[in-house]
Amino acid sequence: MNYRLKIGQDVVTLEVGRLDETRSCQVTTGGESRSVTVKAVSPDQMHLTVDRQCFNLFLSPAEDGTWVWFNGKARFVQDADSIPRRKGRGLDDAPGEVTPPTPATVMRVLVEVGNEVTKGQALVVVSAMKMELTLSAPYSGTVAAVNTEVGAKVSPGEILVEIDRAAEGTDDE
Amino acid sequence: MFSKILVANRGEIAVRVMRTAREMGIATVAVYSEADREALHVLTADEAVLLGESDPASSYLNIDKIVQAAKDTGAQAIHPGYGFLAENPVFAKRITEEGLVFIGPPADVMANLGDKTTARTIMARSDVPIIPGMTASEADPDRLAVAAGTLGYPVLVKAAAGGGGKGMRIVWSEDELADAIAMAASEALAAFGDGSIYLEKYLDRPRHVEFQILADRYGNVVHLFERECSVQRRHQKIIEETPSPALTVDLRQRMAAAAVAAAKAAGYVNAGTVEFLLDRTGAFYFLEVNTRLQVEHPITEMTTGLDLVKHQIEIAAGEPLPFTQEQVFRRGHAIECRIYAEDPEANFMPSPGKILLFRPAEGPGIRYDHGIYRGFDVPVNYDPILGKLIVWAEDRTSACARMIRALQESVLLGVKTPVEFLLDIISSEPFRAGDIHTRFIEEHFAQWKPDTSTDDVAALGFVLNDLAGVRPALASQADIGTAEQQSPWQRLGALDLLG
Repeated sequence: MNYRLKIGQDVVTLEVGRLDETRSCQVTTGGESRSVTVKAVSPDQMHLTVDRQCFNLFLSPAEDGTWVWFNGKARFVQDADSIPRRKGRGLDDAPGEVTPPTPATVMRVLVEVGNEVTKGQALVVVSAMKMELTLSAPYSGTVAAVNTEVGAKVSPGEILVEIDRAAEGTDDE
Repeated sequence: MFSKILVANRGEIAVRVMRTAREMGIATVAVYSEADREALHVLTADEAVLLGESDPASSYLNIDKIVQAAKDTGAQAIHPGYGFLAENPVFAKRITEEGLVFIGPPADVMANLGDKTTARTIMARSDVPIIPGMTASEADPDRLAVAAGTLGYPVLVKAAAGGGGKGMRIVWSEDELADAIAMAASEALAAFGDGSIYLEKYLDRPRHVEFQILADRYGNVVHLFERECSVQRRHQKIIEETPSPALTVDLRQRMAAAAVAAAKAAGYVNAGTVEFLLDRTGAFYFLEVNTRLQVEHPITEMTTGLDLVKHQIEIAAGEPLPFTQEQVFRRGHAIECRIYAEDPEANFMPSPGKILLFRPAEGPGIRYDHGIYRGFDVPVNYDPILGKLIVWAEDRTSACARMIRALQESVLLGVKTPVEFLLDIISSEPFRAGDIHTRFIEEHFAQWKPDTSTDDVAALGFVLNDLAGVRPALASQADIGTAEQQSPWQRLGALDLLG
């Protein structure tokens, strides 16, 4: 059984053998093969013995992946082959869109439909946990739609301002 | 003594105040907003009153509603926590006028200390050292040069209308002064429409060292030693400790005396904190007085054994301080790390969301003051502080080691936190050496990235979780029922076919 796992920007590949009666299996990663024994301490806690080294891990499943805690490091682990590719969900999936990086409240909307905007121009100011964040134009163009208003609660992936991209060559990308 | 108090705050500090009240046999009233219906402070109190909508103006900053809640529930006193209305003299005055007791300093003392210029004047009168600087703006370069000479280089050229570092210049020697004045003035003119400037003594990488004060109504003032709060990001403290690694016995004595003098000069009553900047030569300067319980108060509690909230309540009830300065002792070393919902990899961007797992560390010398539980949704409306992890040990080295263990063992999943960042700071050489200052993070950790060298352990956890059926990691919540009805062997067989 082969796994391709996405952790942050990295992809880790693991080859895992059959789990035997002692809940042990062989795991190969980076060309090295090791014997791993697993014990579920509780639904959240897992004890792993890798060769003779012991690790306590804590796990919490979430949408699209699993949070794993190990020694103060929290990692979001995803099966790289089954990461949903939904349009406009999260920052990674929507580069260059005007969307808040965190759930937030809209404080000010600085543009209207039809406005010409230049790359980097401030479009919307949102506030999250007492911190104000300015969302700016990812490229130059014309404002095609404003999908929010002052006071609105917004989340990552929601496109707050849509911009018709200006003809190529006007950007300094 | 009061029989019931209202806590006009939320989160970890509200829970912390209620704990002491309960130990004192005092009933507690929580107030809350729509967003906090299921917040821990609401679940902790004996009674809870809904104030209104989630925005602070309709809830935690709404003086009328809070006063009404106190009257409706028969609370005799109000503890403001920190933040929100804690340092609002209008709130303190109103509470007194309504025949209730504000657990904090008198409104006029708070107003005086809240005004920077008034506070400076009060301190200067009592020989508390203040950061030397000009009191009015000046345009004449010759007079500025004379002033700079008197202050001693380096000096800071500042815009009178200033803010955000605009129009600010550090000048290391006299020959740089004329240029710096011209540039600062033109920058200030462009930014604020006002080019007036003034000079202040520049402190190179100072430390932030503060003294805890307790004062009763009868003129008794004691200090409970210092807290070193130099490790800051965006001018906000993230690691605090006591004792400060920088203070000698003599310096501590002089700073403590200045802090007590400052409290007396201001007519201070209740718990307060006198903040100083300490420069590399051992010179210290008054910064401000925080007229409230500080976020970092637990490290003082851990080392002195005193409950600051208990003493706040007793002082507010009119009781004299039950001990003198000579009876205050300190033992060992305490460190606090603030646990915020924020992403240290993305410029400390707030990270609200649902707490999926929370399991604080246990064992000797560990205290976790927090306002969360598994399943709690951290609202976007308020400060991102989730809690504070505090450790005590016999010396600084042991306290650092204990903090590392406590951070590693305090599982918190679901929102981003700076735990890994804090671990790296406390493990770092300059922190271990006690060589900290207010620009410490900019200097040593500006480009911080998490160490991914043990990420294969997390990957292993994911895989074994999936294989051994500890919990079906890849299944959606709706599928969990069916997955649990299969034996792991059936599931494993299916997986092997796929593999």
